[in-house]
Amino acid sequence: MGRLALAVGVVAAIVYPIPLQLQGTTYYQTVGFLVLINAMLGLGWNVIGGWAGQFDFGPQVFFGVGASTAWLGLPAAVAVAVVVCALLTYPLTRLRGHYFAIATVAIWMIAQPIGATWEFIGGSQGLFIPVKARASVAASALSLQFSGPTKALGYYYSALALFALTLALMALVERSKLGYYFRAIRDDQEAAEGIGIDSRLYKVLARSITAAVFAAAGVLYAFWALSVFPEQVLELNWSTLPIMATVVGGIGRLWGPVLGAVILIPIAQIMSTTLGTGPLAGRGIDLIVYGLIIVLIAAFRPTGLLSLPWGRWFRRRRPATPAPAP
Amino acid sequence: MAPLLSVEAATKRFGGLLANKEISLAIEPGEIVGLIGPNGAGKTTLFNCITGYMHPDEGRIAFDGADITHTRPERICGLGVARTWQVVRAFGRMTALDNVICGALERTNRVAEARARAVDLLDFTELGARKHVAAANLTLADKKRLEIARALATRPRLLLLDEAMSGLTPRETAAAVQLVRRIHEELGVTICVVEHVMEVVMPLSHRVVVLDYGVKIADGRPHDIVRDELVISAYLGARRAAR
Repeated sequence: MGRLALAVGVVAAIVYPIPLQLQGTTYYQTVGFLVLINAMLGLGWNVIGGWAGQFDFGPQVFFGVGASTAWLGLPAAVAVAVVVCALLTYPLTRLRGHYFAIATVAIWMIAQPIGATWEFIGGSQGLFIPVKARASVAASALSLQFSGPTKALGYYYSALALFALTLALMALVERSKLGYYFRAIRDDQEAAEGIGIDSRLYKVLARSITAAVFAAAGVLYAFWALSVFPEQVLELNWSTLPIMATVVGGIGRLWGPVLGAVILIPIAQIMSTTLGTGPLAGRGIDLIVYGLIIVLIAAFRPTGLLSLPWGRWFRRRRPATPAPAP
Repeated sequence: MAPLLSVEAATKRFGGLLANKEISLAIEPGEIVGLIGPNGAGKTTLFNCITGYMHPDEGRIAFDGADITHTRPERICGLGVARTWQVVRAFGRMTALDNVICGALERTNRVAEARARAVDLLDFTELGARKHVAAANLTLADKKRLEIARALATRPRLLLLDEAMSGLTPRETAAAVQLVRRIHEELGVTICVVEHVMEVVMPLSHRVVVLDYGVKIADGRPHDIVRDELVISAYLGARRAAR
């Protein structure tokens, strides 16, 4: 059952933009791009928030770091974000629960004026990424630059590749020593220390993985947008949407953020197109729908949609066997 | 032979409360030491100081010759001291198997190796049939066994059991005593048990240390301890002892 769903999902993700592209539509490729970016961010947030159980409401700082250093290239930008995250997070690891959450928000609030005034990263004028003509598709893909009618398609597949890479790495993390230690700290920090787990080190590691994913997504976003404005890349939505997606899909589950993003992200897009000219246009209906979904999930299924008994519902009906004679 | 653990005049205060006053004790390799005393005598505080969750205000603690007075818990575990908790602290949302794997990962980075060791230890503690049950759903007796298995997975040389038998039925208590004996005999681990149930500690321990109001009032063989005036008065009240 799980395998079938996975196969259908993979095929759909790869194939669906092609007929649209042939038709000349680019809108739904961009929706797909946003779904994938948010699914990827959710996968990243799931490490610190889901497995390690530390509520981090400021990971968008590292999305901003990634976007602002995109010109260094993906690996270098990710490395910068990881170093910045490790330095910022180490002092925070003494804090727990709400206090940790508040501290992550505080760092984000401090990052905003720094982003807006520091000229080295563009300050309030923003950074612009020049579009260079590429000789071939391969060169475009490697430099993450696509333009013209294939732009939406190119970025969709770039996001798909980056998302798939993130998913594969997170699957490895979940099954590794890191995954076990993160969940041990989530369930009981004292007990974890008692069996030799350095809780401060592993919290820093967890958040650094989160930061790496956010930075990678930030780089991709910067190349897609071709410009980096601090107030845009540090927007609160870069953490709230992935966190909502993770909670809706299933916090602490590998596929949770993916399912959540597939459900939540198109809602805003569909709303804005279908209600675009109507009387409700621009009234934030999508936010009301988000709120409703979150309330329903919190009330009826706090562990997320993935925890529903899908296997039982969809299992192929077996031929009825007569009850054994008493 | 040098003691495995030595506590030298350890004092721990909480504001005006003197939880441990100049406590000295030594645990030799291969011993089972019982640490007893009425509620509030400072047994758990002493455990917390030995395992690094608290640090004594005065005095010194050494394990196998290394000073661990101000060492953090995870480092002390690395040196070979493991503990269980008075109020069980299993990783509730993880399965019994995953709990023990976390402990085994202290000595290896390979999850497959840790899993093999965890399976062995779950069989040793007779939890093998429940290894895929979430720890939160186990019975109290099984949770206490799981904590012991998780602690053993870190390959300790000294195991500190904080009331591993309290709250258990008589039958479960007997099984727990049996388990402690097997850990001592088959795994060769030195053990210190905190209990305030005399019937459990006396037959199990080679030596018993008694605390009362943060002070060590007796240290000797169980046979002698039950006849000690100070111990009797601490447990039964001064009037009864005077009779």
